Amino acid sequence: MILSVRDLRVYFSSPRGQVKALDGVDLDVDRREIVGLAGESGCGKSTLALAISRLIFPPGKITGGKVSFDGRDVLSLSEEEFRREYRWKKIAMVFQGSMNGFTPVFTIGYQINEVLQIHGFEGDLQARVSELLRMVDLDPEIAIRYPHELSGGQKQRAFIAMALALDPPFLIADEPTTALDVVTQVSIMNLLKRLRKENGIAILLITHDLALLSEVVDRMYILYAGRMAETGTAEEIFREPMHPYTKGLIASIPTLQSTKIAGIEGFMPDLANLPPGCKFYPRCPYVMDVCKINEPELRNVKGDQRVACWLY
Amino acid sequence: MPAGSTSGGEPVLRFEDVSVFFTKRRFLGPPSVIKAVDRVNLEIAQGEIVGLVGESGSGKTTLGRTAIGLQRATSGKVIFSDGELNIDVSSAKGRVWKELRKYLQIIFQDPFSSIDPNMRVFDALRIPLQAQGVKDKKEIESRIYTVFNEVGLPTDILWNFVFQLSGGQRQRVSIARVLLFNPSFIVADEAVSMLDVSLKGDILNIIKKISKNFGVAFLFITHEMAVAKVISDRIAVMYLGNLVEIGPSNEVISKPLHPYTQALIQASPTIDPSLRDTYKVMKITGEIPLSREHPPGCKFHPRCPYVMETCRVNFLDMKEVESGHFVSCWLY
Repeated sequence: MILSVRDLRVYFSSPRGQVKALDGVDLDVDRREIVGLAGESGCGKSTLALAISRLIFPPGKITGGKVSFDGRDVLSLSEEEFRREYRWKKIAMVFQGSMNGFTPVFTIGYQINEVLQIHGFEGDLQARVSELLRMVDLDPEIAIRYPHELSGGQKQRAFIAMALALDPPFLIADEPTTALDVVTQVSIMNLLKRLRKENGIAILLITHDLALLSEVVDRMYILYAGRMAETGTAEEIFREPMHPYTKGLIASIPTLQSTKIAGIEGFMPDLANLPPGCKFYPRCPYVMDVCKINEPELRNVKGDQRVACWLY
Repeated sequence: MPAGSTSGGEPVLRFEDVSVFFTKRRFLGPPSVIKAVDRVNLEIAQGEIVGLVGESGSGKTTLGRTAIGLQRATSGKVIFSDGELNIDVSSAKGRVWKELRKYLQIIFQDPFSSIDPNMRVFDALRIPLQAQGVKDKKEIESRIYTVFNEVGLPTDILWNFVFQLSGGQRQRVSIARVLLFNPSFIVADEAVSMLDVSLKGDILNIIKKISKNFGVAFLFITHEMAVAKVISDRIAVMYLGNLVEIGPSNEVISKPLHPYTQALIQASPTIDPSLRDTYKVMKITGEIPLSREHPPGCKFHPRCPYVMETCRVNFLDMKEVESGHFVSCWLY
């Protein structure tokens, strides 16, 4: 495993009490693997990404658990050590709004250059920038352009190029295509697949778009209210989703074959005031008495598929 | 039958050769002109939902804004008809304009920025009513309760602040707000794009119900082909300001004619884990051009896999290929 998260807890303190954004979450990513993380907004997807890259700031706090990278516990490192050895070098991130993360006043090349320099890249900087841009199917000429001269898709590619600057073995892509058009979305997904195949990069792909995940990932995790509801290979989960929440999510995906779109009744519970028992029971069509009292744990049900539900 | 006309039913809104140009003056040299909407013809009937799809930058939103007069057309007419009356939305002024606004409404994409978060929900609904001259307290209350019921919200949240609501609830409030005046025509501009998958279905069902129960005509703007298919009766595809294909939803999805429509359909995600080791090969490449100079001839020709000589030179008007199914492409 390149990345292994165990029992991770991230709490935010707020005037309404503690908001348990993540409460005991496990997640593994193997080398050369594309792993999907899905769930509704507010379920903790992005918090998990930020916690892995140690970007949780007050009022948020990692209150428990372990994040190991290549077997080493990265949460116990000092900020300076983590910055020097891991951030960008081993764990790179691309965010949803990344394409707006470029400063408008410097050229793309200058900004990629800066990352290389700060992290102590030795070698021909200009050649490296061109190589990176070519890696993401951009014309190296783009290095002398300013961000506003590029389209959204080009900027997103340029940002991915920047994330790859130091040859990281692991990339977190948080909603990398949400603001982009479908045609561009396809090309970015092709790019991620190619990076895995040719450069052997492991990717954690976070999105609310399950259809998109189905076409890209090997394994996936479904997160609900800060807890894992289900995990398994993409084939298992899309062939036979087990958790009622996963079933609902998959039924709600609009596809060209669907004639109507289902939905999941109700809303996600307030994370500062969670119900006892299973956090999904107020919305669950199969709710039983036990669900209201005891919280189910992730259990192996079949193959690689693990579900946190009292039905199994 | 002219392009874009309804298959039956009286049109509530009619775009007649509508163009919207944005002109930017430059210090030296001629001003630059952006053709956001270019010679669009389209009719939307009572109770009909027309899905308008296209990539960002295709002019979808500008067309939507023009439909309800928030943007004035540079040329052409937007005719709103209510039985006997025919009013040109794009030249309406004064009292006519104020009156007209009740009948033409819009639901925006982002429920987090389209309603003041520091207002109580009740006030967010009361203020537009008072602005349109409804003074009677009882009537205000009864109208608000009625529309709240319509969108399936519990009335106890009327006294909550807007910031206390979830995204799905807020979008319902914005739908409730547009229903206050029993509008005849509503533009839904990416109304479900920001919502979670689990909520999309609900909101789409509410929109469908409103359209069928009250005979409201909708222009439903979306970039998701699958959403357009589920919600709309007809689909119109837009590229760089032109409508390139219009037809009944099922036909446009099952037999797309224009190469651009075909690409949009091909790019729509499917649920298929077996695709994960393959690269999706798109017939079209590149992105919608950002430059102000539109290509001559068919605007899509630089990205089209089937481009012919004539496409580079000649622009083509809509052609009816099958009954009610129009396309603007030299292949047909």
